[in-house]
Amino acid sequence: MRPILSIAATTVGEAIRRRVLLVILLIGVLFIVVAPGLGILSARSETTVLRAFMLGVIQGVSMIIAVILTVYMIPNEIERRTIYTILSKPVQRWQFLVGKYLGAVLSLLLMMSMMSAVMGVMFFLQQQSKNPGEIADLLKGPAMYFIQMCLLAAVGIFFSTFLPPLVNFFLSIGVFLVGTFFNPLFQTLQENKNTAPMVKLIAQGVNTFLPNFANYNVQNPIINPTQQIQNEGRYFLGVTVYGVVYISILLIIGILIFDRREV
Amino acid sequence: MKQKTSPKLLIALILGFIVQGALQRAVIFDLWTKNYNPGKGKLLSNAMSPDQILAVLGGFREITAGILWVKADSFFDQGNYDAILPLIRLVTMLDPNEIDVYATGMWHIGYNFTDEEQRSDRRYIPSALALGKEGTLHNPDTYELFFEEGWMWYHKIDDDYDNAVKWFLKAQERPDMLPARKNLLGMAYQRTGEINKSIDTYYRLYDQSLKQFANEAAFSNHQNRDTLEGNLDNMLVRAVQRGYVAEKDGRPLNGYDVYPPFDVGFSVKATVVEPRVIRFEGTWNVLPVGTRIRAVLRDKDFPGAHGAELEWDARDSVNLDPPKDQTFMQEQLFVKNRRFNKKVDMSKDPTMYPFTKDKYVLEFYYNPRSAPPHIQDKFGWSGQGMTDKNFINTDVRKNQRVVYATLELTKDQILRYGEWVDKTPIAKTANYHESNSDSGSNDDVILKVPSLRSGVGGK
Repeated sequence: MRPILSIAATTVGEAIRRRVLLVILLIGVLFIVVAPGLGILSARSETTVLRAFMLGVIQGVSMIIAVILTVYMIPNEIERRTIYTILSKPVQRWQFLVGKYLGAVLSLLLMMSMMSAVMGVMFFLQQQSKNPGEIADLLKGPAMYFIQMCLLAAVGIFFSTFLPPLVNFFLSIGVFLVGTFFNPLFQTLQENKNTAPMVKLIAQGVNTFLPNFANYNVQNPIINPTQQIQNEGRYFLGVTVYGVVYISILLIIGILIFDRREV
Repeated sequence: MKQKTSPKLLIALILGFIVQGALQRAVIFDLWTKNYNPGKGKLLSNAMSPDQILAVLGGFREITAGILWVKADSFFDQGNYDAILPLIRLVTMLDPNEIDVYATGMWHIGYNFTDEEQRSDRRYIPSALALGKEGTLHNPDTYELFFEEGWMWYHKIDDDYDNAVKWFLKAQERPDMLPARKNLLGMAYQRTGEINKSIDTYYRLYDQSLKQFANEAAFSNHQNRDTLEGNLDNMLVRAVQRGYVAEKDGRPLNGYDVYPPFDVGFSVKATVVEPRVIRFEGTWNVLPVGTRIRAVLRDKDFPGAHGAELEWDARDSVNLDPPKDQTFMQEQLFVKNRRFNKKVDMSKDPTMYPFTKDKYVLEFYYNPRSAPPHIQDKFGWSGQGMTDKNFINTDVRKNQRVVYATLELTKDQILRYGEWVDKTPIAKTANYHESNSDSGSNDDVILKVPSLRSGVGGK
């Protein structure tokens, strides 16, 4: 366990020192700070727009950070030849990969927590809300986005075991978009009577086996609180377990590939 | 460094795939569809720019909706109303749970499309209602859009009040409805002529307001209680004075305010003074101010049009492009000193009044249910105290006595084509008599102030 934690801690340190990530984070924080200005501009929907904008910024910025953070992880280590130094010590390849992943997750946690904290403060200042439940409800969004980004980071790490960074960048974003879009598309296909049974079957297969990022887009009832949500706790538990299982799958396949790779 | 694949890892992998697939299919997908899918499975049309589509694909529907709504607001400020409609539609597609966008959209479609003289384009109203209906389907847990739908019937359409009642009742079924807004159901019941239900509603709401005030002595609760007390008092007094109680008990109406019925003496003349400009002049023997007679000019074959109205509720889908080849003009003729005189200029808005058909109908309609209380005191809620030698009508509205008259014009007459280039087209009721007194010149002179209650016309 110690090698994994050491590698994770080193990875967090590297992430914090990477200027490109800090600039993206800074832009995200700035957007959240100016968000109340956008809310004022919109007729009758100040709070709705404020919530939508702040949550959207956190999700978007986190997505970029998650991808940039992970696509370079393995290729950079190989390119700089630092991987030889690490693997020459009593560190297994799987420990190296898991450590790198944990480091990415901790970095994401740090950066997303910062954005969420700024969001909470700005929302409080804007709304003058004395109800802590309102801010707690708002934070459900970033909490789910965090699991979503952990899953995206796992996709990035998985691809980084055998793909160069640029290809990985676009592929990871592509998987994220497909994984986000597929739930509504699948629902449409299922409800459409004209869809051929074979197409429905293929859609069902894809929807079952591709990582489903749409599961974590829980922002709609947070932005529009008049909706009544059924079995929220069960849902959150379900998607958390789903995320953990899928991340494990990706890491296991990544380990299998990385084990066979000549470095 | 190469290692053999561990069978345990492979088994874990297969198990992992099965577990995640089962979770996705058995637990997550249904709950996601019910709770978190804003579009309820509807894919968008190609009405967005590529960057917006990308944002939608990426799950950023709400932020895209928010930004579009901010943009729509800037168009409001610029008065660029045409540009707002597609944005409203797009926002409601992106995030159908944005109640305020639906409510604002309904108001905008129903109220803001007007001609140069601020007459609403009534062809849009079915779409405004359809947008509200769509909103209620997406947001069944909150009262707001049910209330807005009722308000559109009650205030904008100002007719067929049973629809207002229907939607207000649905709104009241929702627990989040504001107490003060519930009172409107009592008003709507008056306009459907269901006076007993109106009184029952006020009693029920009054009891609730007493409990609310006992629980929390807030100013709003105090105010609501007082408002309801006043409404109930007025209602009971009016129910007696207007003979409702007597009628219900089977007693004669002699001695009550609605008896004998008052002859309003309606007559009208429509003169096409210029192409697409019509002057309406006529008589209405009610001296107290507050009468507005509805005048409609429409295609004779306008689909679904009858009795000075459209089939407002005909649409279930929103159409932002109303029929551009159909004409439907609606105006209120304000009565002063027992006459009305109004020039309606339709020449500046050819898209609103295209006049593409050959034949047109002019409809004149007066319904006491829309009248102010001081006139209803004489006419009653359903026109029991009103009559007209020529135009009283009990067919165009069920269980109501209304005044209804029709005239006809042709396209050539309205546009002053052909033989009408030099001749002035005039359409008038048989009982219309030219008067020396022009209502425009003696507006401030009140000759006699007859009592409506006495039944004397004061002519």
